[in-house]
Amino acid sequence: MLSIRGLHVRLSRDGRANTVLDGVDLDLAPGEVVALVGESGSGKSTIGLALQGLLPAESQPEISGSIRLSKHEIVGAKAGELRQVRRDLIRSVPQDPMGALNPTMSIGRQMAETGLSPAEVLDWLGRVGLPDPRRIAADMPHRLSGGQRQRVLIAMSMAAKPRVLVADEPTTALDVTVQAQILTLLTDLAREQGTAILFITHDLAVAAELSNRVMVLFGGRVAELGETRAVVKAPAHPYAAGLLSARFDLSSDRGRQLSTLSTERGRTRIEGPHCNYVARCPISTPECSQRRPDLALREDGRRAACFNSDKVPDLLSSARAAPAWPEAIGGNANALELFRIHKSFAGRRKGLFGAKARTRVLSGVDLRIGLGECVALVGESGSGKSTLLRIAAGLVEQDEGDVSWFGGIPPQVVFQDAVAALTPWLTVGEQIGDRLRPLNVSKAEQQRRVAEALELVGIDPALSGALPAELSGGQCQRVTVARAVVVPPKLLLCDEPISAMDVSLAAQTLNLLGTLRRQMGMGMLFVTHDLAAARLIADRIAVLEKGQLVEIGEPDQIISDPQAPYTRTLVSAVPRLVTEEASA
Amino acid sequence: MSVSMPSIAAPASAKFSWLRRMGWLERIGLAGVIAITLLAIFGPQLAPFDPMLRVADAYLPPGLPHLFGTDEIGRDLFSRVLLGIRYTWLPGLAVIGIALVIGSAVGVFAGMMGGWVDALFQRIVELFLVLPSTLIAISVVAALGPGLLNTMIAITIFWWPWYARMTRDEVRRIRSRPHVEAARISGVSKTRLMLRYLLPGTVPALLVAATLDVANIILTLSLMSFLGLGLPAPAPELGAMTARSIDSLTVYWWLPILPAVVIFVMSVCANLAGDGVRSALRGA
Repeated sequence: MLSIRGLHVRLSRDGRANTVLDGVDLDLAPGEVVALVGESGSGKSTIGLALQGLLPAESQPEISGSIRLSKHEIVGAKAGELRQVRRDLIRSVPQDPMGALNPTMSIGRQMAETGLSPAEVLDWLGRVGLPDPRRIAADMPHRLSGGQRQRVLIAMSMAAKPRVLVADEPTTALDVTVQAQILTLLTDLAREQGTAILFITHDLAVAAELSNRVMVLFGGRVAELGETRAVVKAPAHPYAAGLLSARFDLSSDRGRQLSTLSTERGRTRIEGPHCNYVARCPISTPECSQRRPDLALREDGRRAACFNSDKVPDLLSSARAAPAWPEAIGGNANALELFRIHKSFAGRRKGLFGAKARTRVLSGVDLRIGLGECVALVGESGSGKSTLLRIAAGLVEQDEGDVSWFGGIPPQVVFQDAVAALTPWLTVGEQIGDRLRPLNVSKAEQQRRVAEALELVGIDPALSGALPAELSGGQCQRVTVARAVVVPPKLLLCDEPISAMDVSLAAQTLNLLGTLRRQMGMGMLFVTHDLAAARLIADRIAVLEKGQLVEIGEPDQIISDPQAPYTRTLVSAVPRLVTEEASA
Repeated sequence: MSVSMPSIAAPASAKFSWLRRMGWLERIGLAGVIAITLLAIFGPQLAPFDPMLRVADAYLPPGLPHLFGTDEIGRDLFSRVLLGIRYTWLPGLAVIGIALVIGSAVGVFAGMMGGWVDALFQRIVELFLVLPSTLIAISVVAALGPGLLNTMIAITIFWWPWYARMTRDEVRRIRSRPHVEAARISGVSKTRLMLRYLLPGTVPALLVAATLDVANIILTLSLMSFLGLGLPAPAPELGAMTARSIDSLTVYWWLPILPAVVIFVMSVCANLAGDGVRSALRGA
């Protein structure tokens, strides 16, 4: 029904054209769910946009190949035809549901604009599982929760009975607790109506849960394509193997580091006659840098673009033996002590002259982190976990309570968005070196220590002269870690450092942080909404709900026997790799 | 094996990527600005006749050898306009440059300090911004006495506050971004934070504003000289040339019109180049 052939897309950034998709073939059958898996920059979102003829005009897209949907050829179609295709045949569910709704129009009116009668609007709101459709229809978008908004958008998309639905990470902006429900809803509706879903995600576990087939993309080319179960059970491309082996869930071994297959040796080069995974591949041979592997059909019906796919199973088994964590040095002293922290922010004024209402964000939080110990702080968005981290960092003043650091030494912070945490116009070396300035060390000594710090986080010291834009996202995160530890702090605060990363990068970052805090005897506060990551990295997990610590304790104890109701929903929301259990 | 399109990124193309982001008109404007600057510097050497001396009959219409004709005492108008470009263009650039230096220094300081220092500077800046600038500039020149330097001083007084406010707003915006927060946590000193982490971030916005302002400045300078507040009489300033001959518009049209056209072309080029700078910096 949908058939993509030899799709090439080049997009311009800063006046330079880059190949984003390089020869992608895909067929989609009615009712089928195909997952597109890959890291950011792999081109997975570009496929979704190209299907809808929505490649951004400002990046001057050059597109060739063919996308056929029913009787329409989308590549090179006129604007009118594309509009018709988007209205009747292909719909999408966006990442950010608020941005896709008109904030000035009630839900009911917006849905009616797509051609639905009032009765159909109510019917669809009910079908996507929204309670009290009549009230929702009368509501404005900002009054709904993120999950409710996403349900409204799913209703709007599916009501058109499209042939294809493009779902680009439809749950990343939502709380973990509602993610699973949204995904089930999507697949159920697709099955009912025979809509094919192109599900774009960076999480192989999510893909495994709901897709029939999976397409693994790397650097604009298809690395592997096949039945999801088969791919998850025995991947044939080292990148897919890397994604799989780096995956962690609630049953991963906490005693050792996560296994990671890829080694990042510089930026991925997409163009040219070589395998584009060669810069990261652990089993690359000289052939890989000279010739480009075709997406070869294997006897099991799967396709993989690798010369050495027979070596991938060995790779997987060798990956199981990851090194153990180093011995933690520490002591009995506290790296951080938070005592009865209260914080509220000014809200909206009541009336014209009324007092401003204050919103409580934190009410009486006590937390102690020892030297060499890691505490993970979990909680949904709005629970106050970021505010607590910022108070611990001294970036925000608390209203009441005390913050004390070991020896009064201010902590260092690893931010969520590493690229944004580096100043674009200063070299990596300069930014790391700035932490040494207050120590008044000589220029040569400064350079030596910067090089040492870079080596410690696994980056070639020759890159100290590079600007952040020349590094990959993972390398940027390593640089921010290097900056934090070039003068070893006593406390490291991590603000969701892995939430924007694909699994292999996330695993590497967890390994790095877990190793460094043990070796250096740093206390660490690790804020996250990912319970599986929290369990792996931390000695204790603290659960924050509505500004109060509702639970704190050993990770496995919290997970096997959650006390607070909120902790229970968190635990049940962690996706698990289904097929792995079946095969084990 | 390789069915892919030939797609080899030429590394050299990165060098002029800023130029590629510009549209055609914007490139023409940029070329115009470069040409005008060269003319402003080398104009007097290129002038075919001495601009200050009588070289032919009075009131010759445009033609050869006097491209723009001659004026009321027989001076070559083309040569005078060439020199006039220098007297309008270079002071314009100088005013922008000085206003940028003062404005960004004040703006970075206020934005960085915040609190009452910021509030005080904001009020001072607003004080300058609410006054009718051209009128006050005219009275300043009237008080200091006419002359190019005084005109420049008068305009600069009213120009820097715009840049101060813009720099301050940019600094406030950049200050809350994670990379500056990260630098603060890293223990970077205040001066270094100001000069290395904040100031460079304000450059793109200021550069765009400044290039777009060149046209404005030229018009203001021309207006001042039109009103007789620029260089004293025999000097060939474009605005003054237009003013002095405005009475003969219907008879000897080239005398007021051609200098005015040159002013027009200069400001259009400056505006286009300003748009070009904005396109070039977009996404950089």
